[in-house]
Amino acid sequence: MESSNYIKAGLLAIGICIVAAVSWEIHLRRVGMDISFDDNRALWAYIRAKVYEPKDRATVFIGSSRIKFDLDIPTWELLTGNHAVQLACVGSSPAPVLRDLANDSLFKGKLIIDVTEEIFLTASSFDDEGPGKRVEYYHHITPTQRASFQIDRVLESSFAFLDQDNYSFNAMLPLLHLPQRPGVFPDVIFPPEFDRTTLERQSYMTPKFVVDTSLQNRVKGIWAFFEKMNPDPPITGKKLDSVIQLIKTDVDKIQNRGGEVLFVRTPSSGQVWADEQKFYPRNVYWEKLLAATGCKGIYYKDYPAIAQFECPESSHLSPEQAVVFTKELIKILKDEKGWTFNH
Amino acid sequence: MLFNSYTFLVFFAIVLILHNLPFSWKTKKINLLLASYVFYAAWNPPFILLLWLSTLVDFFVGRALYTQENKHKKKLLLVISLIGNLGMLCYFKYGGFILENFTHLVNALGANFHPAKPNIILPAGISFYTFTTLCYTIDMYRKESKPVRTLLDFSLFVTFFPHLVAGPIVRPPQLVPQFLTPRKANSQQMMQGLFLLSLGLFMKVFLADGMLSGAANTVFGTHDPLKTIDAWMGVLAFSGQIFFDFAGYSSCAIGAALCLGFTLPQNFLFPYAAVGFTDFWRRWHITLSSWLRDYLYIPLGGNRMGKYRTYFNLMVTMLLGGLWHGANWTFVVWGALHGFYLWVEKAFRDLRNRSKGIPMFVATEEQLVKASFGPTMKRPVEGSFPPEKNHPKNLTNFILALGTFFLVNVTWVFFRSPDFSSAWQILRAMFTNLPKGTAVLSYLDISKVIIITIALVISHWLMRNTMVLKVAGKMPWWLLGITWSLMILLIMLSQNATSSFIYFQF
Repeated sequence: MESSNYIKAGLLAIGICIVAAVSWEIHLRRVGMDISFDDNRALWAYIRAKVYEPKDRATVFIGSSRIKFDLDIPTWELLTGNHAVQLACVGSSPAPVLRDLANDSLFKGKLIIDVTEEIFLTASSFDDEGPGKRVEYYHHITPTQRASFQIDRVLESSFAFLDQDNYSFNAMLPLLHLPQRPGVFPDVIFPPEFDRTTLERQSYMTPKFVVDTSLQNRVKGIWAFFEKMNPDPPITGKKLDSVIQLIKTDVDKIQNRGGEVLFVRTPSSGQVWADEQKFYPRNVYWEKLLAATGCKGIYYKDYPAIAQFECPESSHLSPEQAVVFTKELIKILKDEKGWTFNH
Repeated sequence: MLFNSYTFLVFFAIVLILHNLPFSWKTKKINLLLASYVFYAAWNPPFILLLWLSTLVDFFVGRALYTQENKHKKKLLLVISLIGNLGMLCYFKYGGFILENFTHLVNALGANFHPAKPNIILPAGISFYTFTTLCYTIDMYRKESKPVRTLLDFSLFVTFFPHLVAGPIVRPPQLVPQFLTPRKANSQQMMQGLFLLSLGLFMKVFLADGMLSGAANTVFGTHDPLKTIDAWMGVLAFSGQIFFDFAGYSSCAIGAALCLGFTLPQNFLFPYAAVGFTDFWRRWHITLSSWLRDYLYIPLGGNRMGKYRTYFNLMVTMLLGGLWHGANWTFVVWGALHGFYLWVEKAFRDLRNRSKGIPMFVATEEQLVKASFGPTMKRPVEGSFPPEKNHPKNLTNFILALGTFFLVNVTWVFFRSPDFSSAWQILRAMFTNLPKGTAVLSYLDISKVIIITIALVISHWLMRNTMVLKVAGKMPWWLLGITWSLMILLIMLSQNATSSFIYFQF
């Protein structure tokens, strides 16, 4: 082939790619999808690096998905003058992150731990999103990975189709709805409208999700499926004691060098709340955790302003609810728990 | 730095711009050398010191080896170079493995020895650049090529970023002469290079990481006994994954070099269309197999020292080739299986030759070498091997190729498994119907593996006697453009978080 033919082929390829990418982007914007950052190891590591801000400048949050939805970071930062360092990982126990912070002698700040009992107070690792791997990635990150993240960040803030969880080839293949193979864990497809992620790692539901009960019911169905699939019965007795003891060890390390640790039980409702009440009664798990660690805690049911939330899909707050929850959380922290902020 | 990262795209654009500015050739070479150090340091900066050490030692020792006439001093210099290069490789790559085995041994003999586990980080690409520098000093010792004239050219030969961390393993005559005169890609080379880069990224990002790694990881990460179909799908997935991963890297490397006006040797020639294992090793990781042939197999005596010694030499070469891939006995067994396959094939060939009255051992080194591993690298090489055409494309050979592919898959079980019990579990599931076998792959995973494996084997068979750029060159421009755009779109749609290449760990 002559070089002119290669050039023509290359130009055609570029043209097709540009047309396809622009068309896809326009389509996604038209159906109401905004940009969303991939909540991957690189983004987590980028946020993790911020924990060293002075105690009066930042608060670190760890936990599972609830605190990612329930904490409205702009509201938090506006009302406290404090940065919110969001390190919670979806579907995963915060234990590896707590261990990492505990072993990091430079971390002496404020830490809020979101408690979802069946994920945190359990013998299972619940490492779906790999907080352990994220911690490892953070400690071994290379210059090229840092640089790639900075470029990726610019691209992701511009294009909605750069969304690995929802619009990558592998994410879209399950939409073919091939039959499920007996005995194999099925593909779980969340609607893209359920979870969008900001650069600060806050998750939020789209306006469409908040009003569309069919989308909400799909997610409720997924929670019910997970509940059914969860093979491990709740741990009690010595097993629970040993899990809590590990948490206490880590918490003590942080507090002994001047850090502050507080637990928060974030809202759930409907069937999810009913199941949690049944399997993880407050006095057996929450109260024991507070008593053993000696930490302060905020259980949402104790505060009328946030006790009666109806979560759209029973487990996470809508953006509007998150603003209310965050304001109340700050108020409780200041008035009742003695935390001080710049504002 | 990884080819499949945004950083590389920016880095490469800058390098291309600098290389095409009107600087002197020496300045351009300095630019390339500095860029190569940036490329390497971007992964783990401190290890660049090892690279500098290796470069300096081998440059000066190589020159001394060439000029030294005193045989004893010459041997001493060679030993210094070998100890320096292999010592570094042994420490970083095999230090933990040696200590672990030594511990097992002395404890088995009754000692109570429990040393702390060493925490040694493997410098990226050490196996590759060690082999690159080793072949230089050995060539100098043998006076098979002339010393590189300047430290700049030698440093660039060792460090040239496209081949630095995962090959192709280049020899001085393949690359150093290209540094002597100014190089700049013409428009055809530039477009071919970009096409190869796109193809390599497509193989790595979309096929290896996006389509196959999930099934392979699931199967090889399962501790329960598996169903036969799952075990086979996992092994076939890995078989495709490792090809697309490594051949993808090689395509990127060759493409990147071509964009700068340089030619690197081919590393893969449609290996899953190989008819037999001699053919396989002419097509799989060609630059490693030819290195092992020229610097290990032939010095051991090749097939010039009798039938049994030939078998011995073959096995030693394959065992060490296996160990080169990783510090684990599973890699040694992988090499041993390939050695065994080569034994059987050689025995059949000898038997057939005897029955036809053909002498078993031929006289010239060129013929000996071809009979064992493929065409010699000592011919002037600037580019790639011509593909062997000794197996016509007919049904018999296709069936033989399928048989070879089947046996290669068995070896991958040892290559991929972390230990022998895992390997044994997969092999049991592959060849027996375990009553309590677990299903771990979805129909979607299975469909992906089947479709890609069939496409892989058929495309290798159809293209076994040609090369990618030849095929691309014969396509109408619009068809090439559409194919190219599909590859780029699928790379974009993959959106995989950057993952390193499998061969980086070797």
